[in-house]
Amino acid sequence: MKIYNRYFVTVAIVLLSTTVILIAAGQTSLDIFYSIFVIEALIVTELFVYFNKKSRRVLNIVGVMLFGGFGIVLCIQVLKALLIF
Amino acid sequence: MLRRNSYTWTGLGLLVAGIVIFCAAFFIFHQAWLSALGICMLIMSFILLALRKAIPNIPPEVCSLLLETGVDNMATLIEELGINTKAIYIPSSLSNTFPRAFIPLHSNGSNPRITRALPQRLIVRYGVGPEDIGLLISTIGSAATGMLEVKPGATSNELESALTSLFTGRLGIADGTRVTYQNNHIEIEINKPRLETSSDLSHQCLGGPLATIAASVAAESWDKPMKITQEEQRKGKYYIELEVIG
Repeated sequence: MKIYNRYFVTVAIVLLSTTVILIAAGQTSLDIFYSIFVIEALIVTELFVYFNKKSRRVLNIVGVMLFGGFGIVLCIQVLKALLIF
Repeated sequence: MLRRNSYTWTGLGLLVAGIVIFCAAFFIFHQAWLSALGICMLIMSFILLALRKAIPNIPPEVCSLLLETGVDNMATLIEELGINTKAIYIPSSLSNTFPRAFIPLHSNGSNPRITRALPQRLIVRYGVGPEDIGLLISTIGSAATGMLEVKPGATSNELESALTSLFTGRLGIADGTRVTYQNNHIEIEINKPRLETSSDLSHQCLGGPLATIAASVAAESWDKPMKITQEEQRKGKYYIELEVIG
């Protein structure tokens, strides 16, 4: 059970630290915030290699959902860039 | 159940708070930093709600009751029979089903040679001599080996990976392991163990719970019988030494 708590605390610390750092850096684009959050969440999940099969499966589903959102953000940005040109 | 509920309730709390904060910040206040905080809370809520499904339904107290009952019964059996020999952990190839512990009823100082698969009975004969008889029992190591996704190979690295996966990932009873193999002896160092060990006769015969699991997994990895030659706890670490027999 301890590994789940450690995993969640790690994700929470990483995401909240990123929020503080990006705000301090004057970042206002939500796309950037979301993209970095997703990448960080996926990296932390990959670092916890000793999860059992069931945990990995459910976290993979969350990863796919988040990555789907990342894809949408990316598509919107590409469309915006295409419309400008 | 309490832990599982705490994941659910925390996840739902973060979900609701995340939606409220994001909507208020994005549509009313137009504050990017507050919207980002809302997104951050939503991602954490998704993770918590997903993890609640992976956490076992059985409370740790029930598991502890089952373990204590099993260990008590085993201790009673061993004490009643007056066995003072050390158990030998045999792989599934020698016990027909899964790794088990074999306790020789008589010992002349040398390790018994088990060359063929033993029958699935409590009292089994392993040789032709009249005293070549022993008890074949299941231990928590037998069940724990079944939790491994793949059978580890006969190398210290693969055994270390399997034991860390089991102790840290599946069972949550230690923080990590280190394994070294030299001259038919396997040395295992377990960091921050969280299982108490007793010092009764069954413990002397079978070994502690951590040593039992380690010996069963090692026997399966090497596909050879194993014997716990030494185990001790000092400075927040648990040290186990196994001897590869045969």
